[in-house]
Amino acid sequence: MILLLERAAAEAPDHPAVVTGEGTTTYGELRTAARRVAGGLVAQGVTRFAMVEPDATRIVQLLAGAALVGSEPCQYQADMAPAEFAAQAESLGHDVVVTRRTDLVGPFRVVDPDELAGAEPDTRPGPGEAQPLLIRTTGTTGVPKAARHDWSILGRTVATVSPRPQQRWLLAYGPHQFAGLQVIQHVLASRATLVAPFPRQPRDGVDALLAEGVTCVSATPTYWRFLLAEARSRGVALPALEQATLGGEASPADLLEELRATFPGVRVSQVYASTEFGSVASVRDGRPGLDAAVLHGEANPTSHLRVHDGELWVRAGAGMLGYADASTEAADPADADGEWRRTGDLVEVVDGRVLFRGRTSEVINVGGVKVHPLPVEERISALDSVAAARVFGRANRLTGAIVAVEVVPLGGADDADLDRLREQIRDAVADLPRAWQPRSVAFVDSIQTRGDKTVRRVEA
Amino acid sequence: MAVEKARAVIAEFLARAGKSSDDLSDETPLFGEGLALDSLEAAELSVMLEDVLGTDPFSSAEQLPQTVGDILAFYEVSSSA
Repeated sequence: MILLLERAAAEAPDHPAVVTGEGTTTYGELRTAARRVAGGLVAQGVTRFAMVEPDATRIVQLLAGAALVGSEPCQYQADMAPAEFAAQAESLGHDVVVTRRTDLVGPFRVVDPDELAGAEPDTRPGPGEAQPLLIRTTGTTGVPKAARHDWSILGRTVATVSPRPQQRWLLAYGPHQFAGLQVIQHVLASRATLVAPFPRQPRDGVDALLAEGVTCVSATPTYWRFLLAEARSRGVALPALEQATLGGEASPADLLEELRATFPGVRVSQVYASTEFGSVASVRDGRPGLDAAVLHGEANPTSHLRVHDGELWVRAGAGMLGYADASTEAADPADADGEWRRTGDLVEVVDGRVLFRGRTSEVINVGGVKVHPLPVEERISALDSVAAARVFGRANRLTGAIVAVEVVPLGGADDADLDRLREQIRDAVADLPRAWQPRSVAFVDSIQTRGDKTVRRVEA
Repeated sequence: MAVEKARAVIAEFLARAGKSSDDLSDETPLFGEGLALDSLEAAELSVMLEDVLGTDPFSSAEQLPQTVGDILAFYEVSSSA
């Protein structure tokens, strides 16, 4: 991160690096600020810290400055509720929080990012051996985990990127997400410009495309669908794009066609990546799924992907080093020597294409957000007037899937009781992220089980 | 009939989502300046319509509906077919 920034700043100090609602920052300014942040971190003795910050300019300064001095940053969603933040910061052992928010209080020290950026710059020539960072993810039970990464390994994925200073990339992902960090790294490596509005809804993306000269966008299929719908709804013609990248969910064929029709000449890429495994594969042919030629085999012995019993397996590329909590097992080892890992993605090879068919687990992918049914189910089952509840994924064209729940109310409920219960369910899940909240609530007499297990697979 | 049912579903959805239906007309845009639905809200409306009417324009129509009227028109076509 710091090496990419230093290189870009040396070659093009006056080129715009980051454009946000607060203004434009050049590579030279960004490097100076990162060096000041580094000095501030050292002066304050901060070796690891939580970040709660919406502004991409400050985020890049903090990440790069931390990398220079080997301090370990960990981003949290900028709008996370104070109680939720306090709980997660405690579980990850964060006792320093860099934020401009004033509502985050707890057994931690709050440091203003602008105070760090006002420190004397650190002048060491380059980063040390370790440039750690933590990326938060959600584990199989829905409890947040944090994957330990290092910039020196993450940087390999952009090592061959050539300078394309004319490109302007929209930051459509959260910068706390693996995909968002990939976009930031790519921009720095190509000495391009990051256009980072906040909030990051598709409607903000449309504004950025129209007003900020964006030429490249990386986003989930759900984001793309809504960006196109928003533009149609406003009756505006979107300017041409050079690059459209999709990731996080399977890309439907009709969406790929719509992208090509909307942006003639655009290069369409689909990326297969995850917080745990890093960037694993990408395809550029604009068709759904992956080309089966990317799979491991005699013809392709160095591939990171193979299909085993209908499940996609992966071996480490730019993957993580482990979880923050050493007792947490690394993603399911699939073979005896632990080289290959299960991804949990079910695939089928059809006519030379690897097509995605769903998940082996009960995880529900809602527009790229992985939702675990249990925490949702527990909150609803805990309500006094609920006898039983089953949370499952329901297929949806707009978001891939939505969270659905079947509820068995306690006996004798009339319509008014059910209306009240619907409100209670809404309140019971209000503390969960929006993608986790059930969008379909059905009252039923009994729930579907297989043996004594509740069935939670995604239903068409 | 289907159109009236769809109208009732839209009204119920708006009530549940805490959005006002006072100024609602067929021309009201679903996204942007109109009802400002985001992806999750649109998905919720699509499953509510599907549950009541068996099909919905978000899943079945070639293009996403843009206005309240687009949703109603989908059911006019469906019921006359």
